[in-house]
Amino acid sequence: MHLKNLVVAKTLIFTVLFGLCRRYSVGEHIGFIGETVEVSTGDEKFRIEGRAIVYGVRTEDWISNAVVLVDGEEHVGFIRLDGTFTVNDVPTGSYVVHIASPTYRFEPVRVDITTNGKMRARRVNYIRMSEVVQLPYPLQMRCTGLHSYFIKRETWGWSDFFMNPMVLMMLLPLVIILLLPKVINTDDPGVRREMEQSMNMLNPNPELPDVSELMTKFFATPKSRAKPGGGARGHGHREAQGGGSVPLGARRRRT
Amino acid sequence: MGWSLATLFVSLRLLCFTAAVFEDQVGKFDWRQQFVGEVRFAVFDTNSQASKKLLVATEKNIFASINSRTGDLLWRHVDKTGPEGHIDMLLLHGQDALVVVGNGRILRSWETTIGGLNWETVLDTGSFQSAAFIGVQDLVKYVAVLKKSALSLHYLSNGHQKWVENLPESNTVQYQIVYSGGSGQVLLLGVVPNSHIVIVEYNIEDGEIMRQKSVAAPWITSLQSSCVVVGSGVLLCADLTTQSMYTFSLQSVEQTNMNQILLQTLGLEVASGFQPVLISTQPHPARPPLSEFVLQLGPDHHILLQLNDELISPLRDFNPSFLVAFATTGEKTVTAVMSPKNTTVSVDPSTCSYFLSSLQFSLSSNVGYNVVVLYLDAKACSINLYSADTGRRLLDTTIIYHKDPNGGRPAKLYVHAFLKKDDSVGYRVMVQNEDLVLSFLQQPGRVVWTREEALADVVTMEMVDLPLTGTQAELEGEFGKKADGLLAMVLKRLSSQLIVLQAWLGHLWKLFYDARKPRSQVKNEVTIETLSRDEFNLQKMMVMVTASGKLFGIDSKSGTILWSQYLENVQPNSVFKLMVQRTTAHFPHPPQCTLLIKDKNTGLASLNVFNPIFGKKSHIGVPALSRPVLQSLLLPLMDQDYAKVLLLIDDQYKVTAFPSTKNVLQQLQEMASSIFFYLVDSNQGRLSGFRLRKDLSTELIWEVVVPVETQKIVGVKGKRANEHVHSQGRVMGDRSVLYKYLNPNLLAVVTESTDTHQEHSFVGIFLIDGVTGRIVHEAVQRKARGPVHFVHSENWVVYVYWNTKSRRNEFSVLELFEGMELYNSTVFSSLDRPQPPQVLQQSYIFPSPISTLEATLTEKGITSRHLLVGLPSGAILSLPKMFLDPRRPEVASEQSREENLIPYSPEIPIRTEWFINYNQSVSRVKGIYTSPSGLESTCLVVAYGLDLYQTRVYPSKQFDVLKDDYDYVLISSVLLGLFFATMISKRLAEVKLLNRAWR
Repeated sequence: MHLKNLVVAKTLIFTVLFGLCRRYSVGEHIGFIGETVEVSTGDEKFRIEGRAIVYGVRTEDWISNAVVLVDGEEHVGFIRLDGTFTVNDVPTGSYVVHIASPTYRFEPVRVDITTNGKMRARRVNYIRMSEVVQLPYPLQMRCTGLHSYFIKRETWGWSDFFMNPMVLMMLLPLVIILLLPKVINTDDPGVRREMEQSMNMLNPNPELPDVSELMTKFFATPKSRAKPGGGARGHGHREAQGGGSVPLGARRRRT
Repeated sequence: MGWSLATLFVSLRLLCFTAAVFEDQVGKFDWRQQFVGEVRFAVFDTNSQASKKLLVATEKNIFASINSRTGDLLWRHVDKTGPEGHIDMLLLHGQDALVVVGNGRILRSWETTIGGLNWETVLDTGSFQSAAFIGVQDLVKYVAVLKKSALSLHYLSNGHQKWVENLPESNTVQYQIVYSGGSGQVLLLGVVPNSHIVIVEYNIEDGEIMRQKSVAAPWITSLQSSCVVVGSGVLLCADLTTQSMYTFSLQSVEQTNMNQILLQTLGLEVASGFQPVLISTQPHPARPPLSEFVLQLGPDHHILLQLNDELISPLRDFNPSFLVAFATTGEKTVTAVMSPKNTTVSVDPSTCSYFLSSLQFSLSSNVGYNVVVLYLDAKACSINLYSADTGRRLLDTTIIYHKDPNGGRPAKLYVHAFLKKDDSVGYRVMVQNEDLVLSFLQQPGRVVWTREEALADVVTMEMVDLPLTGTQAELEGEFGKKADGLLAMVLKRLSSQLIVLQAWLGHLWKLFYDARKPRSQVKNEVTIETLSRDEFNLQKMMVMVTASGKLFGIDSKSGTILWSQYLENVQPNSVFKLMVQRTTAHFPHPPQCTLLIKDKNTGLASLNVFNPIFGKKSHIGVPALSRPVLQSLLLPLMDQDYAKVLLLIDDQYKVTAFPSTKNVLQQLQEMASSIFFYLVDSNQGRLSGFRLRKDLSTELIWEVVVPVETQKIVGVKGKRANEHVHSQGRVMGDRSVLYKYLNPNLLAVVTESTDTHQEHSFVGIFLIDGVTGRIVHEAVQRKARGPVHFVHSENWVVYVYWNTKSRRNEFSVLELFEGMELYNSTVFSSLDRPQPPQVLQQSYIFPSPISTLEATLTEKGITSRHLLVGLPSGAILSLPKMFLDPRRPEVASEQSREENLIPYSPEIPIRTEWFINYNQSVSRVKGIYTSPSGLESTCLVVAYGLDLYQTRVYPSKQFDVLKDDYDYVLISSVLLGLFFATMISKRLAEVKLLNRAWR
């Protein structure tokens, strides 16, 4: 008993919707999408027609790989030698027509078919479904370019090499090392004292073992250790100059 | 402003994980093979001598052109699947091929050189019976299409309908043949079973009925295959019960009865129970058929006969003969037969009975005809050419056909005849076997090409590691054995190192030797003998199971078929499940695969055990399965020979173990309390969980019933057994850890509503613990319907459905987390998890329908995951899982940026750079198989469907191996430069120090 009531109610809804739909399809287009699909009477089938165009390419050269897909592989159509196509036996509803070609790119088009076979083509908008940007029907599918499947390999050039931050970081100290001795006379005792002071300021913790000094001790050949004082001092200077930044960096990493 | 910033952010992020292919990598790691499926019609283009076109229409609704010299596809058109795309008829006329599609719904004309559509016409509904060219005075201008109740005539040039006529008494008369002798009339032959034959003649111009006649034939049941038109309009029928042939002249006015010719008078006899088959040929549609024809008297017995003024005279008896076909070329009249090679050997009748003789015609517009007759044997057959008008054998026309011992028997024969320079007839044949192998042969038996069309329908596959080479195995063996003294071990070490050195030297020598040869000759042939695992395990053996019951072993690197095995007696609607019981890792024991074949109707199953590397059938005893099998599960338990244990559960919930040695049974007894399995009954909507008892019986422990009135179960998926998850949780922006809910027993169950109404339909997803039956999560997607594709992996489920309201495909992702603390970090137990997981979900719009969905898989699970999406356009999209992350924030914050979360956007982009198969489209992708390689960064991907495509993907780029464009020259020149710079500067410094010391 209960079941029967339900069925009756359902059929009622259907008829109401059907009536609504008919009114809408004649008049305005808002509501168009919602109703037409479900109230398809079933048997009637329509055909979607259109034309695919690739500028500058003869149709024979591309159509053997191309196929017209309607809602995935739900309906399939083939392109004729003159570029036109027909997709047969499509029931009432709303479909996305898409030309699948491995080389050429086409924009998909949404096609709405009303119960009485009226066709409308519009731009596909998945986010705002109700938005209607009407397109001509029969469809005009124009190729919008080639598919780009590949990304370019990074090529190596001298400019890339020199603009690399690592290389810049390497080159700058080199320039300073080479140029500074020329600008400042290191043999002048006043300048030397000044420099030593600034070094101490840079290195606030004198107890911390200097990595560069450790390394020199470790790797220095006995020959250089045996060198006379003047040479050794000059050597030590350069170490201290470069070494100032090393423990800083090391500390930063440790925190 | 904020929006543009967000998009900029997104596009920047996109640049970071492009999984694209570089142009120079094309074809380097990937290959594609295209197929057409089981051939239904095949026609050779014989218009010009140089033509190499072979047109085929197949059971897979494909119309294609094959290059008959190489076997490659020239072009291919893939129509809709199912009966609406079914090809009913293929006719070739000149350069145009006419195809009737969808039970006579559409008539298409194709230009065969380039594969373009000339025109297509929609025909009236009605079941298709026959179609034929109608010729007038040597010109073919029309095509007639016969439906159950109507006959229509169309112009060949544009497809327009000339006329359509309803057939008289079409509810009682079955019209089956439409015939035109080229004299301007259209003859229609119908039959009323066990009563009479109806002949209707139409006027070609206006479709008016000129004549209508009926002839009594109380013995007749059907016109098809037992009646043909031969000579100048003589209807010829053969009948088993009366053991006679009947002739009737269609043109004569006075004849009212069929002439009976007893087969006995010709000295012939039809094999008992065999419906005789008549084969005639009409070389040119505008001219009457030949007066010679072939009568098949038994499965392996054909006879060539001639009709001469109502008298039938035998020309040649072909006994035994399996397949016969006519072919036509040039001016000459020739006939041709396939027979066992050694005719003195008596043919086993049991094997012969399978040879359904099917005759295929290769028509040409030129006058002249040949008939090809063939013979078959267990191993080799010979094909000979005979003159059609005399039955005389033509000299030097033998083709020896060697049958593949692992293949099926020949089933169809297509002959391509041509005139040689000296005006004699040459020919090539295409043989289609039961296992859907197409082989194209030429004299004296050279196989020009073969196509394995069974691969157009791969059902399931596995990838198996290749075995180690002898030397590698030697090295491995060193570690496995027990220590036997220090000295012995040192010696063994040294000897194995020597072997490696020797192999290396051999390799160097080969390189040197090959370098001298031209590059084209160096091509290494892949054979089973030379197969060995490479350094990174990137080359594997693909074991493929096809719907026709043929198994293949394919080298994943090159796509070469290394072995194939045809399983006979496999029912057409069987279900297959392939399991790797023993991998190649257990050296002295061969690897072992088990294929479970289950008949869909009866549920009865059988096991087929084989070696996946060599394709040899194993001699291991297989348990007899007398009851229908409901479920099979491969346990991680191993027997003493390292074969994993397979459990099969029958319909009485009894368990059979394979292998079932004592060792296995003992292990099973010990483990029984922790072995659980589940069963799905989608008809009753019941999911039930069972536990194994010690005596191998089972007990029901849980049951979940999904009401079948409202919804039905469409899919159940667990996680893949070989999946590893590297990280237990995710580090958040604030340095806390969100732990993943990694339940190995979790099942994802997808249901669809039975109500398909747009407003009420829904898709449900349940996450059920397979051990306890607890529903961990339940989600319902309203206003949605299937087909649902889903992937279940790690702690997430991704599913795709159709949103009926917005009419678009949507992706939805569910992610499960334990929370900020892990309950038990050492082991996961379904029975001891008090906290339900936190579930996050997000949905996205996907701007394309999809065919299939799979996730990438890597060795240790460190690499980020991608989803592989098969699109109907033939592309395979590699979509970063990052886009499907329910934690994508609506507004990007500092923390989410730290976490690398992309701000939420409703639409998932499809970028052609993400197509892993670039322009190598793969049609009708049915499944994607992913397999880890030895490299953590690399995942092997095989897409199957109509085509096969194999490639590698690097979801997080190649972080563990030098890129293939790595600049060795640059790095070595920089190193050398630095080396010399230090040398020079050292010298300079020394000079400087010396100078200073002198100062």
